[in-house]
Parts: sequence; structure tokens; C-alpha cells
Amino acid sequence: MQPIYLDNAATTRLAPEVRAEMEPWLDAEFGNPSSRHPLGVRAAEALDRARERVGRALGARPAGVIFTAGGTEANNLAVLGFARGRRRHGRHVVVGPTEHPSVLEPALALREEGFEVERARLDETGRLDLDDLERRLRPDTVVVAQMLVNNEIGTLYPVAAVARIVRRAAPNAVLHVDAVQGAGKEVISLAELGADSVAVSAHKIHGPKGTGALAVRDGLAPPKPVIFGGGQERGVRSGTENVAGIVGLGVALELADARVDATVASMSAAHAELARAVESLPGARLLTPGDTVPAICAVLLPGPPAEVYLHHLETRGVMTSVGSACHAKDLAVSPALAAIGLGEREARQVLRFSFSRDTTVEEARAAGEALHEVARALEARAG
Amino acid sequence: MTVSSGVEADLIVARYGEIWLKGKNRHEFERKLLDNVRAALRPFSGVEVRRDYGQLVVHASRRPAAVAQRLEDVFGIASLSPARGVEPRAEAIASAAAQALDEALANRPDDGPIPFRVEVRRSDKTFPMTSMELEIFVAERVMPPHASRLKVDLTRPELTLGVNVRLDRAYVFAERRPGAGGLPVGTIGRAVCLLSGGIDSPVAAWMAMKRGCSVAFLSFHSYPYIGESSKRKLTNLVRALARYQPRNRLYFAPFTAVQEAIRDTAPEPYRTVLYRRMMQRIATRVARREKAGVLVTGESLGQVASQTMENLTCIGAASGLPVLRPLICFDKTETIERARAIGTYDVSIQPEPDCCTVFQPARPVIRGSLERCEEAEARLDVEALVEDAVAGLEVVDVEAG
Repeated sequence: MQPIYLDNAATTRLAPEVRAEMEPWLDAEFGNPSSRHPLGVRAAEALDRARERVGRALGARPAGVIFTAGGTEANNLAVLGFARGRRRHGRHVVVGPTEHPSVLEPALALREEGFEVERARLDETGRLDLDDLERRLRPDTVVVAQMLVNNEIGTLYPVAAVARIVRRAAPNAVLHVDAVQGAGKEVISLAELGADSVAVSAHKIHGPKGTGALAVRDGLAPPKPVIFGGGQERGVRSGTENVAGIVGLGVALELADARVDATVASMSAAHAELARAVESLPGARLLTPGDTVPAICAVLLPGPPAEVYLHHLETRGVMTSVGSACHAKDLAVSPALAAIGLGEREARQVLRFSFSRDTTVEEARAAGEALHEVARALEARAG
Repeated sequence: MTVSSGVEADLIVARYGEIWLKGKNRHEFERKLLDNVRAALRPFSGVEVRRDYGQLVVHASRRPAAVAQRLEDVFGIASLSPARGVEPRAEAIASAAAQALDEALANRPDDGPIPFRVEVRRSDKTFPMTSMELEIFVAERVMPPHASRLKVDLTRPELTLGVNVRLDRAYVFAERRPGAGGLPVGTIGRAVCLLSGGIDSPVAAWMAMKRGCSVAFLSFHSYPYIGESSKRKLTNLVRALARYQPRNRLYFAPFTAVQEAIRDTAPEPYRTVLYRRMMQRIATRVARREKAGVLVTGESLGQVASQTMENLTCIGAASGLPVLRPLICFDKTETIERARAIGTYDVSIQPEPDCCTVFQPARPVIRGSLERCEEAEARLDVEALVEDAVAGLEVVDVEAG
């Protein structure tokens, strides 16, 4: 049985093109980019090329690209580093309503340094409440963080509109965008988004785990470092660079960007196929508040907790997720689910299917059929 | 092994506890303890263990501090001391004692004189000095350089320099740590512990080990109502317990069919008690396979609905073997404290569902009756369900971490 992997919001399979370009850097080209001999210089040149690629894909100059050990670190660096660097303007931070813990937790940690931290709100349809956001912003607001795409239900947030409000109401703030779930499904451009920085992660776009980047727009000083040491990445992120991983990130992001249109088209077809299966399942409901990307199909299911469906689906080769894999053990209701009226019990009945650019309509159809089988089996067993 | 004539700096002396009391069985107990110590120290290179009348002497050339720590988890050791071994001559003893004292004082703050004594035990009564003479000899040699930091106090010393004179060797030490106590694992017999993934059952297993039982573990798995990651948690629990016994076998019994059958035929309030009766039956079969004489559970009186006196009676009646319940009169707080101390707590609190949550009754019976259990089981093919579960047993041999 060929497994049907529909947990791509957790991680994706390494693309063969990415692997091929990484291989030399895991083998003969093992130099430290800081070394002065040819082995080191070649590694440094590989970083230069990757920086160029990442900058191009995100709309930043190469000098504005800071490589990190993943999306979490990029988000931490932006939130902590920009806030600490802008204390002369104030100590007020606003984060989006459904930010990933890698944005929310560092923001909350800033409270110990005297910052005031607020969370924006969703309205009752699950959309970002822009009026509420505007009321929270102030001249002493120094960081606003708003994700592009929500990891639980795939909400696409209007970041460009957020940017206009931030410029107007919080002129001293840096707008950071966590684009970890958006990359490959949306064009990520600092200029188009109107953002000051974006975070991306390689393993969500068929790249290797443990690599990401923070891209900072031209003209803005980089964040203060949160990791200190030998001064790599122009002093913003010390530590010997993960050369193979960074090369992989460069290829992965370039591919993801080049294939956005095709990806959206194929994901939409898969999404529509699975949505049909959900609609014909009594008691099930597709969660699509406001604008959502077709990459994620969150389903509220009848009967037992979604984890029971998950394990029954896995016996049929279909890999899905409950909550999100990063914090699946967190049992509280997430703001994204609470905003659309889900209580603690219902939140545990949400199953997430997430697609990649390789997901086929046939796989979505087979997953839909498996979901029906499981629902029937569970109903029969429940007597 | 041959004992070198020079000074051995990196020794650990491990003293036996109660096993001296066991008269005729002494050799068997000593042999087991030696085996268990060797197994515990297998991951360390450059370690030699020798038996020396009532104590084990471990020579650890590379990581003596880590080896000493490891020995603190071996049941049957009453106390242990990092020690120096020298020729049994007064001069050599005094010079080793001086070094041991230097080290001991270097680790202590200098805040007033420390009550101090030298304590000599002689197993070799042919030694030319009496114990007291040797104590005075050593004290007079070691104290002068530290005169301001030490004051002699024979009754309530805070720092005792121990000297143990034996026929061909003398041991000198400045520290005596409590060992794990108890009896060497395997000297009393074998047990099967029903492991749920909660806080209690690992502590119960540990207590059985402490009293000399070697323990095999049994857990129940209700796939696909419960995911594979709960197996990983159980494996990690056994891995945490593997510090305390040399061999750690974990059985997983498939339990889905049992739970479905009970759900479909039995009164809902009785589900949990009936699950547990089936677990006892399957555990009895595993015990037979493991040549184990008892079952061990983490049950504690009144802790949850299934642990009332009546329900424990119903559950225990399904076992074909005596059931040890080491925690029966523990408060939860006492169990938690013990779980933290033995290193299982952090694994136990990982949030993984266990099979008892599957089809959990809304209102479980509090005072179950054996007749009602038997009535409900008359509608089940108990034998076939047990047989199927036993046929589906999965065995994992867990290595110490």
C-alpha cells in the first residue's frame, strides 16, 4: 500500500532536485565557509549563491538574508531582535491572533524585559479584525507580527492591508511576517506584502529540516542577534553555517516560487475533491473561515475525537494530523478554532489534511473514500 | 584479578546490605549482585569489579565519579565510597588518608572548623596496631596541615576519614553515600508488572525490583483507537526503569478486540472493571511464559473508581497469581515524589492516551460485584479473547539508556 501523505503542513518530502544540489556539500565539499583555503572559499561561495536565490525569491537584497536553523529561529530572531533594537521608540509589541508559538512565545518572553505585549483579534467569521488592530497600534509600538497563512486551518491573512495600517498607526514599528506556511502557496515578496521582514523554513517546501531564513527589507537595519559567537551572518547569527542545508533552502525556495501557480492549481483540484467527500459525510463540516489557501483542508468530524479517525486512517495508509504536529500535545483550544466557535470538545474533533505540490487528485479521492470508510466503521462499532 | 601493590586512586567500595542476613543463600546473593553490578557497568570501559568479603571493590580508571553514580541505582548495595586502595601498612595508609582529606576539604567552604574523626575497621586482626592506635597515628599525620579547619569530634563528626584494613589491602575514604538498599534484583523471583503509562505502575515496578524481583512489563494497546506513539512512551518508561535491573522485557498485548467485545455486551458502568479483569488474565498467561510467580500493579486504595475495595476484589479475582500492590496505601503525592526520585515521572506525564480511555464509561461502577462481572463475562468468549491477545503479543527488549 503506497502511503498517501496528507500532512504536508507538518513537513514535506525532500525534492530530488534539492537533494542533488545538497549532496556535494555533505561529501567532498565539507569546508568551513570561514576558512581561507579553497575548500572554505568554495563553501562561502555556495552560501553567496544561496543567499542570492533566497533574496530573489523573497524580494530582499542578498545582504538582507540571514540564514537560521529553521523557521522557529527566524521568528524568534525577528521578534526579539527587532524589539530589543528599537527600545528607544518604545516597548509595545502586537502579535497576530493565531501566531505560531515561535512568534507568540518570544513575544510573551519580552514582557520580562518590560515590554507590553498584545494579541490582535479575529472577528466572528474568523477574519482578522483590522479595526481592532488599528486601535491597538501606537507610536511606541515597535514590532507587529502577523502570519501570512495559518497552519491549522489555512486562513490567508490580508498582510498588505495590515501593512498599510501599521505604517499609518505605528510608524516606528517593524512588521514581521511569518511566511512559513505561505511559501510555495503564495508569492512571498517583501515589497508586495509591505512587510519589513519575512521568515521561511526549508522543510515545509521540500527542503531539508533545520534550515530557514529571515529576510529583511532593503534599508532596514538587521535585528539584534539572539545567538552570539563567531560573528557569522554579519554578526546577526553566529555559528558555523549549515552549508548543505542552506544550499538546499536556496534550491527549495527557488523551486517553490517558480511553481506557485501550478501548485495552487493542483492543490485546488485536490482540495475540491476532498471537500466533496467531506460534504457528503453526514455530520462533517469543512472549516473555511474567510480566505483560505487550498493547501489545508481542516474538517470537523462527528463522533469520537479526531485522533481516533487519524489512527484508523493511518491503517488505510492515509497520514493526517490533529492540531498541528508542532504542538499536537497542547490540549487547549487554539485561537484559530476558538474564533470560529469551536469549544474544547469540538477542537479535538478537527482533522487536518494538508497537501503538497505533489499531491494528486487521485490521492485526495482515495483519502476521501478512506474517510468515508472509517466514519462508517466507527459508526457501526459505536452501535 | 591481581591487586597491584601500589596506590589505586579510582576505587569505589560498595558494601552489601541485608544480604549478609540471609545465611545459607549468601553465595547466591553475592553472585547475583556481582552480575548486576557488572551489567550496570557494562557501558563503561576500563572497569574491573572484584569481590572482597562483604563488599565489592570497583576499579574505574576512566570515569570514577560516573561509575559511583551508576552504582547508586543498583539494589543490594547498602552504601558506597569512592576510595583509595593501598598496601596495609600504617605509612601507606596515612599518606593515602592525607590525600583523601585534602580532596574532601577542597570541596568544602572554609567557614569554621569541621567536626572530624578517623574511623578504623580492621578485618585483619594480625595488623600490628589496634584500631585506636591506627586512628591516632593517621589523625596525627593528616591533621596538622589543616589544623584551623578541623576539630576532633569522635561522637558527632561531620567529616569521617574511614580506613578499612584487610588482609592484603587497606581502603581509605572520606565519604560514605547511601546505596539503593534493598536486595539484588533476581534473588527473590520474577514478576510481571502491568504498566499503564501513568505515574503509579512504574513506581510499583521499581519497588518490586528493590525487594529483589526481576520484573517483566506488560502493556495493553488498543490500536487504532490509540496511536503508535503511546508504545513509544511505554518503551521510554521501561528505558527509565532499566537503570535498576539488568534485563528489561516489555510485552504489548493487543486489546482492541477485548474492549470492543466488552463494550458490545457488558453494562457500561462495568466496562473498566471488566477491562482490568481481562488484563489480569492476559498477564497471568504472560507470567507463565516468563516463569514469573506474581503480578505487580500500581493500584492504590480509593485512588480512582476502579480501585475501591470492591473493585480491586473483582479485578484481583481474575488473576491466577498473587497480585503485589506496593502502592496500595500510598497517597498520590507520595507516589509522585517517588516517581520523581527514580526518574519515571517526566516520562509518565507525557500526554498520551492509554487504552483505559477507550469507550470509557460516563459513570463507572464504584462498588462492583463479582457476580455481575461473571454474569457479563458469560456473554463473552473469555478464553478466545485471552488466547487471541496472547497470540498477538509483541515483545520488545529495552536496552538501558
